[in-house]
Amino acid sequence: MVTMRPTTTRLLSSLWALPLLLATSVPAVAEDWPQFRGVNGSAVSPSKGLPSRFSSKEGVKWKAPLGEGVSCPIVVGGRVFSTGMSGAQRFAVYAHDANTGKLLWKREYPLTGALPRITPPNSHAASTPASDGKRLYLYFSTIGLAAVDCATGRDLWRLPLPKPAYLMDWGAAVSPIVYKGLVYFCQDDDLNPYLMAVDGVTGKVKWRVSRPDMLAGYSLPVLCEAGGRTDLVVAGTGKLKGYDPATGKELWTCNTLLRTIMTSPVVKDGVIYIAVQSYGDAKRTLKFALMEWLDTNQDKKLARTEMPKEFLEKFDLSDKNKDGFILDNELDTAFQHPDNMVGGGNMVQAIKGGGSGDVTRTHVLWNVTTRAPSNLSSPILVSGRVHVVKAGGLSSCLGAADGKMLWEMTRMGNLGDYFASPVAADGKIYICGKNGFVVVLEDSPEMKVVARNDMGGELIASPAIANGRLYIRTRDTLYCIGAGPGLASAGGR
Amino acid sequence: MKRSGALMLLASAWVAVSVASTVPAAPAEPIAVVVGAHAPPIEQLAARECAQILGKLFGVPAAVSARVPTHTKRVVLVGSPATNGFVKQSAGAAWPKLTDQGHVVRSSKLAGKDVLVVGGGSPQATLWSVYELGYQFGVRYLLYGDAYPMERPAFRLTGFNVKLEPTLRLRSWRTLNDFAIGTESWGLADQKKLLRQLAKLKYNRVLMSVYPWQPYVDFEYGGVKKQTGVLWYGHRYPLDGDTPGRTALKDLSEFGNPDFARAATYADRVRAGVGLAKGILDEAHRLGMTAALTFSPLEFPKEFAAVLPGSRPSPAPEPLAIGPGAGQSLNDPKLLGLAAAQLNAYANTYPGIDAIYLSLPEFPDWVEQGPAAWKLLDQGGKLGGDAGYQAVLRAARTRSTVASGERGVRSVNGNLAVLAFVHKLRDNSVLALPGMGRKEVGLVGVDAALLSQLDAVTPAGWSALHFVDYTAPRVAAQEAVLQSVPASKVRSSLILTLADDNMGVLPQMTRAALQKLVARLSENSWEGFSTRYWMPGDLSPAAHFLSRNSFGAALTPQKALEELATPMCGAGVALALEKGFAQIEEATLLMDQNDLGFSFPVPGMLMKHYRNQPVPEWWARVRDLFGGASGEMYRANTRSRGGERDFTLYYAKRLDFALFYMNAVEAVRLAGIAKAKGDRTAQKEQLEKAEEALYTASNTLAEVARDQSDRGVLAILDAYAFRPLRKELASLAGGAR
Repeated sequence: MVTMRPTTTRLLSSLWALPLLLATSVPAVAEDWPQFRGVNGSAVSPSKGLPSRFSSKEGVKWKAPLGEGVSCPIVVGGRVFSTGMSGAQRFAVYAHDANTGKLLWKREYPLTGALPRITPPNSHAASTPASDGKRLYLYFSTIGLAAVDCATGRDLWRLPLPKPAYLMDWGAAVSPIVYKGLVYFCQDDDLNPYLMAVDGVTGKVKWRVSRPDMLAGYSLPVLCEAGGRTDLVVAGTGKLKGYDPATGKELWTCNTLLRTIMTSPVVKDGVIYIAVQSYGDAKRTLKFALMEWLDTNQDKKLARTEMPKEFLEKFDLSDKNKDGFILDNELDTAFQHPDNMVGGGNMVQAIKGGGSGDVTRTHVLWNVTTRAPSNLSSPILVSGRVHVVKAGGLSSCLGAADGKMLWEMTRMGNLGDYFASPVAADGKIYICGKNGFVVVLEDSPEMKVVARNDMGGELIASPAIANGRLYIRTRDTLYCIGAGPGLASAGGR
Repeated sequence: MKRSGALMLLASAWVAVSVASTVPAAPAEPIAVVVGAHAPPIEQLAARECAQILGKLFGVPAAVSARVPTHTKRVVLVGSPATNGFVKQSAGAAWPKLTDQGHVVRSSKLAGKDVLVVGGGSPQATLWSVYELGYQFGVRYLLYGDAYPMERPAFRLTGFNVKLEPTLRLRSWRTLNDFAIGTESWGLADQKKLLRQLAKLKYNRVLMSVYPWQPYVDFEYGGVKKQTGVLWYGHRYPLDGDTPGRTALKDLSEFGNPDFARAATYADRVRAGVGLAKGILDEAHRLGMTAALTFSPLEFPKEFAAVLPGSRPSPAPEPLAIGPGAGQSLNDPKLLGLAAAQLNAYANTYPGIDAIYLSLPEFPDWVEQGPAAWKLLDQGGKLGGDAGYQAVLRAARTRSTVASGERGVRSVNGNLAVLAFVHKLRDNSVLALPGMGRKEVGLVGVDAALLSQLDAVTPAGWSALHFVDYTAPRVAAQEAVLQSVPASKVRSSLILTLADDNMGVLPQMTRAALQKLVARLSENSWEGFSTRYWMPGDLSPAAHFLSRNSFGAALTPQKALEELATPMCGAGVALALEKGFAQIEEATLLMDQNDLGFSFPVPGMLMKHYRNQPVPEWWARVRDLFGGASGEMYRANTRSRGGERDFTLYYAKRLDFALFYMNAVEAVRLAGIAKAKGDRTAQKEQLEKAEEALYTASNTLAEVARDQSDRGVLAILDAYAFRPLRKELASLAGGAR
């Protein structure tokens, strides 16, 4: 391991990369929760001794104030890392002692210029960091990718990236992952979607592949071991794709998905499970959304003046007759790839990994068309069962082996929206409602609500689980929840 | 430059340039705002406001000075020739004739150099001229804050030639009043913020509407001390984790006015209440506005029944007040004594108040004295004797307003009794004191049937604030009534309902009616208006429209909306807003015509629809209109990239709220029908649908809740709609949920 002097760190922190830094990654230990939705995005932890009943006042081991945000906490090597906005023009990264809640360090990034447009309840601090135990990898729309030292918060490298652009102004929210020394980052926006791998030590781009047939989406890349290899799997518009993580080469595609993919798949034993809901029916391509939301005067054509400026170049390419409008056929493919004209729908699907080429007809193990999935909350696979939850507090569960519905859209007794994805450990499934309640389901073949726990504040972020504790983040507070009595007051230092 | 040097170089010509031109200047060149060294405090405030607005608008330093500095060419003179010597020298004889409300924004010359003069016929009008300058540069004043233009304009000193005089001299905004959805929930900090915005919109009066059970005054009479001092008719709004929309209510265990948070006793509440009202009064004065109080002279806290034999409970949502009973004589000394004690208490508690309005009851109960009162008022036969009385009753009975038929007759009789009584009260209370002559005293709510004889029934010198009907469209339909008011004899202003509490929590717009009414008021020499509303969240466009049209702009609502929205949201947004607002307006009219009390915010507001009656067809239409308007607002929001997106998003969410609320109401009705059929499964299913729709409605509003009124909506929906619905569901399930 190379130790850097502080002065060197400062000098190099302004550069894109640290080519001489040859740090060795510290592998995440089994119970760590090193990225969005934990190890490989599974949202399942081997942790034991987790409580069923708790609240913002009960079972709280510590709590700490955070800047406003909806990113998820991660836990690595005894530290909890979180992000948030520190006022309107600063992005903050926090490291807390996972056991005591002590603030170990806080790194602030001053932000210059206008931040991109977002739509509530999204926040500018929406991306969840990832860590290999040594470095913490971050993404922020106007900063790009960055790495800081887990122990100190010192800058290691920064990789500026183009700001993503969204036709509907949803805003950035994708998260990096790290695997074998590479940081993977998929930015499916409406303008220049891409997938890239970056050297975790140096910040140098290892490879970058364009995903021109994708629309804006937020699916997290996952790794799938199958067929004697490990593929990087990414869900996007109409397609689930497998890539070679070393080169970025597309290995296979399964063309069974829908238009807008915001949920992430989970992988178990070489099978990829995904649950998606994309607004409208199969005929509802992007064009209809554009006409509904961007055609301000509802004259059934899209004027140049109605377009966000980021998309004018693309608009002009489609405006063949240069009359300042696109309509009819021009509109069909102006922003959606002509080879990927998928629409909306609802489905839960299992796809066998490890394929080659077009696996659409060969690798789909089962497909269930059901209104059960959410467009935002991802599925979880526990004990051979796939669970999904959606607005209204509707829980559904399917057998992983065959897609058989065990229960479908059954009320959990907690109304409202669901943005967070379920997490599970210790025979319990924790489901965060936007209304601030965490519903606890028993991990069993029949639906059983064990508890409904009030965390007081809005829950958009998915919790982290590590070492017998739950880390739950409201918009502005991080709670560490454990079994047994909580502390009267803790953290916030 | 020293002042003496500057004076030597001054040119006296007042130049009004009609063609705009831009003065190129270094990007960072500061702006000097020059105010008279001995200018009145409000002009000093105007100068500070001017510096703040221009500095923010152009991103340069802007400072207030009593001298014309030499380090910058960007000079703005604030004041009038009477208060600022530089204005006098710059304008000279060209200073226009202005009333005390007239104001100008004009390009001029000082020592041969371009300057900008902002000033008025009074310090208050000078403050408005500063806000007008901001407006001319694209700043828009909303009820919740300022919106600066999307595109920073070029600074210029030339091309301004604005002179404004009001067509409606009284522009009054009501506050306090009643209900948790209203400004009764607002603490002083929020009230001040609202007042500052109203000043920018050139409203010149705040009208505090108070009731006998509220804690804004303390007095005793006949050995009885006032003991009732509650908000919201004494209702409480406990909150818990299951309260829909809880995220907007933070960690509160009970909804409340923050200024009363620690007020546990009557004395505490009165202290808080008086502090709040005095704070409003002081802030209004600081901003150059007048402050008025309005209350009923013949309603008293219920404990005074002990000293008023023959009294009876007043008709109100809760039995908190009493009024004169059937046998109470107009000459009852105890009634007079009690009324005087209450009136005196208000006057003594708020010695700085500028106007006192005595409001005639909305639901007159002291009707038996009507004939006697007529005789008292009809001295010398000026009202036409008994024939005149019968004609008035006939008019009240046959009119088309809400108070018609027997209610109309009661209204007139009740009115007459109070009118006769206030003449006595005037002579036997603080109103008779010499110092009171400086204050305006007026009546609120003289019955429409009496308006043509207003000057005969109103004490001499008093003004009148007219309540013709509940909603603006209903008032606009009463052209004859409006024209019957002798506004040239009795200073008259009209209560303009921007949103009615009977229609309650749903978005409302009545733009066409407001346009018509404002035009009629101007034509008929009315002094002005006073707003009536509960939730101000939707009302910035209405406040803006009234503001501009009160100064002779004669804008259509559409044009006013375009002027409001385009600088802050960008081109194309006003069109979508207009389409949405038109749909809200249509929905408002449907509710008004079919069920005025559709979502009146009282217990039972939702479950009153739980009955075995067909779903009215207009419900679906209203729901579709709210849905359509919501779509327009989202389109407006998408289009207002980089602009004031909160403005459009608020409407989008408010309309989603309305849509879900309509779904909840319909589901409750379907549950009622199922219940009557004995279809328990359908009944439960529909109630669950209603529960979810209502939950979603509140959560949606919570996402954009911007003030205490919005939070009050969440609190009252929890108490009056959600909990009763859950209770019914629990009873169906046979247990608690």
